[in-house]
Amino acid sequence: MIPVRANNRPDNRSSLQDADCKPFLAVADHIAGIPGAFIAPAGTDPGNSFCFPLELSPHCYGQLCIPAGLPDGLRPDQRKALEELASGIARMFAAKKQFATHNGNQAALTAEAQDKLDRQREFYENILNKLPTDIAVFDANHRYLFVNPGAISNEEYRKFIIGKDDYEYVAYRNRDISIADSRRAKFLEAREAGKEIRWEETMIDPSGNQLTHLRRMFPVYDENGEFSMVIGFGMEISDRKALEEKQARLVRQLSTQNTQLIDFCNIVSHNLRAPLVNISMLVDILGTSDDLDEHKLLTSKLRPVLDNLHSTFNELVESIQIRQNPEIRSEKLSVQEGLQRTTESLQTEIHRLEAEIEADFASAPVINFPPQYLRSILLNLISNALKYHCPGRPPRIRVTTRREKDKIVLAVADNGLGVDLVKHRDSFFKIGKVFHRHPDAKGFGLFMTKTQVEAMGGRIWVESEPQIGTTFYIEFINQQNCLP
Amino acid sequence: MKNIYFIDDDPVFIYLTRRMMSSSRTGFDAKEFTDGELAIDHLRKISDQPDLLPDIIFLDLSMPVMDGWEFLEEYSQLRCSLSKNISLFIVSSSISPEEVERSKTYAAVTDFLIKPLRAGKIEELLAAK
Repeated sequence: MIPVRANNRPDNRSSLQDADCKPFLAVADHIAGIPGAFIAPAGTDPGNSFCFPLELSPHCYGQLCIPAGLPDGLRPDQRKALEELASGIARMFAAKKQFATHNGNQAALTAEAQDKLDRQREFYENILNKLPTDIAVFDANHRYLFVNPGAISNEEYRKFIIGKDDYEYVAYRNRDISIADSRRAKFLEAREAGKEIRWEETMIDPSGNQLTHLRRMFPVYDENGEFSMVIGFGMEISDRKALEEKQARLVRQLSTQNTQLIDFCNIVSHNLRAPLVNISMLVDILGTSDDLDEHKLLTSKLRPVLDNLHSTFNELVESIQIRQNPEIRSEKLSVQEGLQRTTESLQTEIHRLEAEIEADFASAPVINFPPQYLRSILLNLISNALKYHCPGRPPRIRVTTRREKDKIVLAVADNGLGVDLVKHRDSFFKIGKVFHRHPDAKGFGLFMTKTQVEAMGGRIWVESEPQIGTTFYIEFINQQNCLP
Repeated sequence: MKNIYFIDDDPVFIYLTRRMMSSSRTGFDAKEFTDGELAIDHLRKISDQPDLLPDIIFLDLSMPVMDGWEFLEEYSQLRCSLSKNISLFIVSSSISPEEVERSKTYAAVTDFLIKPLRAGKIEELLAAK
C-alpha cells in the first residue's frame, strides 16, 4: 500500500474524478465483501466512512471508502483486505492510465517505432527477395498478398499482381487462361488438403530449355483456426531432374545389362558346357580303349561336337559384339529393298515350297536402322516362316510396316506350324530354344534377332497359335526422321 | 536287366553314356527319346504295362519341342497312374544352382546329376535297384 497524505500532496497532482472511480466501485463492493464500499476523489469528505488512500499514479490519487455504519466497525482482517484492495486498484488504474497516455502520445512514438518497423520489414523482405526460390503468398480467396522477385522478376508486374488473382494477371500478361486454371486447382487442392502439397512442373523457357520446378503450397490458419492464407514456394530443380533422369536411365541400363549377364551365364553353362562335357567324355574313353576301330569311331564323333562348340561360340561372340556396339550407325533403309534381297537369297526354298510373300510398306516405307541388322532380322524371320510351315500347306507370309508416332512396327505373319505360347512365352527368344523337330533348328535365330533389336532400344514380341500361324512384331524406335 | 530311358537330344552324350554302361556288371536295355514330348507320349501308351515301363529315366533339361521342365510337369501328372516305381534323374550340363533348386520342387525327381556321368556313378545307379 502506498500511503497518501491529503495534506502534503503537491499542487501538480490531480484528483480522481467521479467518472474515473465508477468502474472500480462494483469491484470494491464484492471483493471486500462490504456492501456500499466506494472510491472517492482525494480531498473530498465521503462522510461517515473509513477511507484508505489510493495512489493511482504519481499524478493521480483518490481514496477507497467504506461506510462507517457497519455494526461492529472493521475487523483487523477486513481492514487488511481493504488496504490490499486499495493497493490493487491503484496498480490496475495506473496500468490503464499508462496505456491511455501511450495512446495519447502515439504520434510522438510512431516516428521512432515506425522507423524500427521499417528496418525490420526491410530486413525480412531483403531475405525473401534474395532467396533463390519463388515465394508467393495468397489470401483466403487466392489473391496475391506478396510475391518475391524469384517468382516475378519484373518489378512492374510484381506490383501489379498484389491484390489480384491469377486470372487478372493472365489477362494482363496476355497469357493462356489454362495457367490460371491450373494455379487455381492447386490452390484449392492445398486448401482442401489442409496441409502442404507438392508437385513438379515442367515447362519450356523462351530459349527452348526444359525447366522443372518443385512447387509446394501450404495453407495457413489464424489463431481461431480459420483458413487465412496460402504460402507457395517454388524451386528450380532442372539440374536435379536431369540428374534423376540420368540416374534412372543408368539404373534401367544396368538392370538390362544384369539380366543379359545372367542370360549369358546360363547360355555359357548350357550351350558351351554341353559340348565340352562330350569332348571330355570322348577323351576319357579314348584313353581307356585299345581297339583301333573304336578309336576311329570315337574320333569321328568328335567332329560334330567341335562344330557345335564352334558355332555356339561364334554366336555368343557375335551377340556380345552387338551388345557392346551401341555406336553402330543407323541408315535410312527401304524395307522393300531389304525384303527383295531376303527373298532372293531364299529363292530356292520359296520356289520349292510354293511360298507366297506379300508386302505392304505404304505407311512406313523407310526404317532408320543398321543395315546389317535389318538384313539379318528379315532373313531370320522369313526363313523361320518357311522352315516351320505346315506340311501340305504352302507358306503365306505377309510382311508389313505401320507407323506409331515416332516408332515403326514391322510385322511378319505366317500361316505355319505356330507355337503354344501358354507354354513357351518366357523361353521364346532364348538361345538354343527350339520348338519343332527340324534338322536345321538350332535356336540361334530368334536369340540373335532379339539381341539386335534390343541393342537398338527396340522390342520384339510374338503372337502365335498352333496350326494357325505366327506373327512377329518388331518395334523400331527413334524413327522421327523417317516421316513420310 | 534294367530298363533305361534316355530323354536327351544329344546323340553323342547318349552314345558315350551307353558305351560306359556297357562295361557295367548289370545288364540293361535302353530306349532313346530326343525330346520330352516323344517320351511322354510313349509313357502314356504303356502306363499300365510294368514290363515295358523303365526302371530309370535320365532326363536332359535343354531339348527342342518339349524341354525337361515341361516334361516334368506332364510326367508329374502321369506318375500316379504308372504301374511302376521309376527313378528319374535329371542329367544336365547346366551347373546353375537355381535349376538344382527348381528340380527339388518335383517329387518325381530322384536326383540332379551334372554331366558328364562318371563310370562309378553309373555302376552305382544300375546296381541300386
